[in-house]
Amino acid sequence: MIKKFIHQFASPKTYLYQVSRAYPYILFVSLFIYIFSIFWGLFLTPEDFVQGNSYRIIYLHVPASFISQSLYAGMAFASVIFLVWKVKLSAYLIKSIAPIGAITTFIALVSGSIWGIPTWGTWWAWDARIVSTLILFIMYLGLISLHDSFTNYDKADKFLAILVLVGSVNIPIIKMSVEWWSTLHQSASITITEKPAIDPSMLYPLFGSIIGFTGIVICLVILSSKLQILIREKNKSWVKDYV
Amino acid sequence: MFDFAFDTFSDAMIMQSQNGQSHGPYVWLVVAIVFVTIAATFLIYKYKIKKISLKIK
Repeated sequence: MIKKFIHQFASPKTYLYQVSRAYPYILFVSLFIYIFSIFWGLFLTPEDFVQGNSYRIIYLHVPASFISQSLYAGMAFASVIFLVWKVKLSAYLIKSIAPIGAITTFIALVSGSIWGIPTWGTWWAWDARIVSTLILFIMYLGLISLHDSFTNYDKADKFLAILVLVGSVNIPIIKMSVEWWSTLHQSASITITEKPAIDPSMLYPLFGSIIGFTGIVICLVILSSKLQILIREKNKSWVKDYV
Repeated sequence: MFDFAFDTFSDAMIMQSQNGQSHGPYVWLVVAIVFVTIAATFLIYKYKIKKISLKIK
């Protein structure tokens, strides 16, 4: 029954029509929230006592970092669905999320490096959090290259799903690296179990920037998956009707 | 909560902190990188979708 339900609602055709309808609304709302939150964070929050004004990079760095890990978790979830129920759309999504994940990880690494100059006195340190994030970036690039190296899509999808699951071990390592090892990177300021270690005046725009950036990235994943579906299903009659 | 942190536009660009350092160049560089990267990604995907759509048609 679950299999029937998934196959019915996760057909590329249904997905494409549904997300195409939702795309402009998600984009408009997310852009508004993101730009408003960035403005709030850059101009309307007070200076940080320790880091001065450089802390304002948090409103760009943290959303990118959060999303880069969340996207990988999403790929791992899609991999399980693909390997267990052989849902085609999951395979398309894994392939679509990988480049967006690489871009968000790139933003997280570059923004973190620039933030490191005024706060740590260096743009790079062989610190557990930074190295595990660099590994995530390399993993994303590796997954994209691996899929592109196959001529047979079915084999490529299967290998990709297995590799994504193997690589998912890196996500808890990134998350816990600041707790397990002594790192230059600060500990998490926001956790689910504890009260945030950040003042509400700085916290609210941070939440806003995370929500807004998540929406923008969802729109990018929609575009990426749309491209993937058009490439893979180009010979189907419904695709000709769609375009 | 909604008081401006800077008095003038130039102060907002420089973002001088209490320790005397100007953090504006770092912050604005990150803002530029993020917005350019996101905008470029949107444009590239839009272009690729348009290209494949024309091919399918």
